[in-house]
Order: sequence, then structure tokens, then C-alpha cells
Amino acid sequence: MHPVIRLVNRNLTISLNKGFMIWQVIFPLIYIFVGGFAYTALIDSVSYGNKTLDYPAYIASGMIGFNIMNSALVSGIIIWNDRRHGMFEQILVGPFTRTHYILSNVYTIGIIGLISATLITAVGYPLFFESIEFNFLTMPLLVFASVVGSILFGSIASIISTRLKSSEGFNVVINTVFLFFAFVSTAFYPAEGSPLPLSIAFYFNPLTYLVDVVRAGIFGNFDTFVAIEMLVLVTLSLTLFSIATKLLAKLEL
Amino acid sequence: MSCIETKLLSKSYGIINAVDGIDLSVNYGKIFGFLGPNGAGKTTTIKLLTTLIPPTAGTMKILGIDAIRSPLEVRKKIGVVLQQPSYEPTLSVEKSLEKYGMMWNVERKIRQDRVEELLSAFDLAEIRNIKNDELSIGQRRRVQVAREFMHDMKLLFLDEPTVGLDPSARRGLLDFIKDKAKDGLTVFFTTHLLNEAEYICDEVAIINKGKIIAIDTPEELKNKFGREKTIKIHLDTVRKDLSDLLIGIKDYELDFNSGTNITIRSNDSEEVLLKILQILTANNIVIEDLSAIPTSLEEIFLSVVNKSNASSD
Repeated sequence: MHPVIRLVNRNLTISLNKGFMIWQVIFPLIYIFVGGFAYTALIDSVSYGNKTLDYPAYIASGMIGFNIMNSALVSGIIIWNDRRHGMFEQILVGPFTRTHYILSNVYTIGIIGLISATLITAVGYPLFFESIEFNFLTMPLLVFASVVGSILFGSIASIISTRLKSSEGFNVVINTVFLFFAFVSTAFYPAEGSPLPLSIAFYFNPLTYLVDVVRAGIFGNFDTFVAIEMLVLVTLSLTLFSIATKLLAKLEL
Repeated sequence: MSCIETKLLSKSYGIINAVDGIDLSVNYGKIFGFLGPNGAGKTTTIKLLTTLIPPTAGTMKILGIDAIRSPLEVRKKIGVVLQQPSYEPTLSVEKSLEKYGMMWNVERKIRQDRVEELLSAFDLAEIRNIKNDELSIGQRRRVQVAREFMHDMKLLFLDEPTVGLDPSARRGLLDFIKDKAKDGLTVFFTTHLLNEAEYICDEVAIINKGKIIAIDTPEELKNKFGREKTIKIHLDTVRKDLSDLLIGIKDYELDFNSGTNITIRSNDSEEVLLKILQILTANNIVIEDLSAIPTSLEEIFLSVVNKSNASSD
């Protein structure tokens, strides 16, 4: 078996515990079903392209992107735990290179991102099935969002985990950054109708682009703007991934 | 050909030479002890030999492979137990061993057999289902060492493996390593506990301030550096006048703890003993006990390190 596959196997074993799975599934479900239906009294529907979506359908599709981002946290947590519990050094005195280690993290978050996206899509399906427009052009958008989103947010989490030294610092920074990503985005509410500074801030947030691509995949409204968003996501992912790789490669032992 | 061979191996951090041009030659199938005070360069040397960090200068061949050019080839053939704890907090003891074997590409059937064998050998069977995060430091250390035997290797690096272990677990581990060495495993072993090195090692090197200051078998080191012997004489009565009687004799100490104790520490301890015995006999002083304490590796270590410190100062 290839060293990277062995490391992915190990990463999945240590990451996919009950707590994580509950967090990954229950947490978005609460947003979708509690938040979604509770806010319906305030937000009846959201106009989206040439469609009008129920708020639960809107938030359920947003939760797919949100969950991809949350899954990517695993990458940071794996690196952080490996450093904290001595496994980073232990792996590197074994039959592995740093490249194996980095690639295994990418594949791990990709797999977890896909699983999470599939789970939430399945759970949210009853809410958005009326507006759904899957076709051969839009289906790959969901896969694209899962993979690129995982790499992008995984790289951010990895960068944070390589730069910080204390547990407290790691938790504070990662929670703050991901809280910003989650709530200053179009995952929960549309940019249209929001106060101008906030709607501008939405587009300084990669989660907004990710969620837009997911929605384009589900509701079939792929257009030039989504294509530009995809380009931005790819560029940003590659840049952040190279930074994360360089930082990991330089991490002192 | 040696199992480990280094020439002028060095590692510098700025102006600090953590390892300063060391030459090592460790033969196959031997247990090689690497001793030194804190900060002497032991762990840095292990990090160099296990290819975790690159050297600043020098050459090193591990198992006949150029470790600077082909570090991965070396790492595929060695086992390493680092000084710092390493564990997966969310895995149970059994799962840790099993997954570690998987990481080393050990076949499933062999893995299962080895897990059972190691759980028993390291007295871990009772805690097999407990997560690493919930273990005591000593238990975690046992898992860490046991885990390394999940895969085949020709050379094992152990950086203070017995830290945190109780005496029984410590002895069990040392005997386990001795048995493995009998089967042909070469072991590079660092420890602070010199009785351990004396118990287990075929050859010993002492490092101080990044340089190797002595290297030989424990017995030869004692012959070379252990000329000073300790002899103890015990009298059952308190004889405060003894210091007057022994005037002119050097290299002895007196204490009056439960009788009178005379301790001789000298390079010529037999000669000193003879003089003292003559005085005691002449004064009709009865000896209750007389014992010679063999020179330990610890004394040699302290003597060699102190001399090295004095010469570098």
C-alpha cells in the first residue's frame, strides 16, 4: 500500500470518531431544521437568480458549503494534534516524507469534505428538492466545491496550526477565523438586502464563493459570475496550499 | 561494515555546536549506550542519525546506506522511540498498536499476532481498550515502546525509553531489548540511568558539549578510568580519637553513624587500607565489617564528564 494511502487510513481513523461525526451532522441539522424553519417567519423566501427559494431550502444549500469548511478544520486539527502529541516527529522518523504527510492531509480533508457534503445534501434534499435542477453541467460543481473548498479551508487551518504554539491560541484563532467565515458569508442569508458594508464584506470571504458554487450546482443557475467565483477559489486554494506546504516543510523538529 | 558509521558529524545552531564532529562506529547486533549530561547533544545526535534533521557537516552511513543522500531508505529499515511522548489520543492501546503496524505496511495477519504478543510482553493486556489519553505517563511510554516492535527493523534507536517506568516495567523492557539484540537487532540506546547502561550495553560512548569524550565497553572504561576504588571499614564502637591515630594518612573519611565508618577513596586504596589496618591492629581496635565497592559506570561517567568540563573551562 502506498505510504500516502496508509497515512490517509490513519488520519481517517483518528478523525472520524463519534464526537466529530455528531458535530459534523447534528450541528448543520440544527441550523437547517431549527434555524431554517424558525427564521421562515421572518424570511419567507429568498430570490435567487430567476428563482424564489424557501428559506429552509436556501439555508440547507448554504449548509453544504458550511460543512465543507468545517470538515477542512480536520486538517488543522490533525496537524495540531500530531505536533502536540509527538506524532509529527514520529511519522517523520518512519517510512514517510513530509510530502507524504502533506498529501495525506489533502486527501483526508477531500474525503471528509465529500462525505460531509453528501450527508448534508441527502439530509437537505427534502427541503430543496422542489427547486433542484441537477444536470451534467451542474453536478460536477458540487464535486468541485467539495474538493477545492476542502483544500482552501484545509490550507487555512494548516497554516494556523503550523504558526501557533499554545492550545489556547490555536483554539481562539481557529474559532475566530471560522466564525467570521461562517457568519460574514451568504451561507445563512443573501447578500442582496443586507447593509452595503456587510454585503461587500461577504465577498471578501471565500465561503461566500464556495456557497455560491454549491447553490449553482443544486439549483442549476451557472453563469459568468459563478465561473469567476470558481476561478477565484482555485487561485486562492493554490496560493494558500503552497503557503501551507512551505510552512509544513519548514516546520522545525 | 558497521551498522552505524559517522565521520566528523556536526550540527550547529548559529554559534552553538550541538554536535561537534563526532566519529561513531557501531557494530551489528550490539547494544550501544550513548550517555551524557543534559544538553550534551544526545538527542540531537539521535535526530541526526534517524535523519530527522540534516547535519551541518560530516558523513553518516546507517546500515550501509548514505543517510544524507537517502534518508527515506534508512528510515524504512530502522525503528525509533523518541524521548518525547508520541501517541494518538483518541485511539485505544490495541488500536494504536494495530494502526502503527498498518502505517508500517505490516500484513494484517502478522499485525494481529504481534498486537497480542506485545500486549502480553509489555503487560498492556488489561488496558488494551483504554484510550491513550486516559493512560498514565508510564503506561503511555510502554505503549510507545511496544508500538515500535510492530514492524521489522534492523536497527532500533531508543532515546531514554525507560523514563516514567516503574522498576519492574523498566527491568522487563531492558530484558526484552536484550532478547531482541540476541536475535540480531542492533540498538542505539541513550539513558541517564547509568546502571541501565551497565546492565544492557555492550559498548558505551560518553558525550559532553557535543563531543565524544570516551568510548569503549563498560568493563574497559572501568579499567581505563576506574582506578579509584572505594573501601569501607565499619567499627561497632564510636572512636572519636581515630582521627588523631590516623594522622598522616590521606584519602579517607570518617563518620560516626551507628559506630565508626572509615571510607577510603583512592587510586592506591589497597596501600591506604594496609596502613589503616596496621594502626587499628596496633591499637587493638576490632573491625566489624570490611567491604570493597566495585567501581560503577556512574562514577566513571562523573569522573570523565568532570574532567572534560574542567579541561574545556
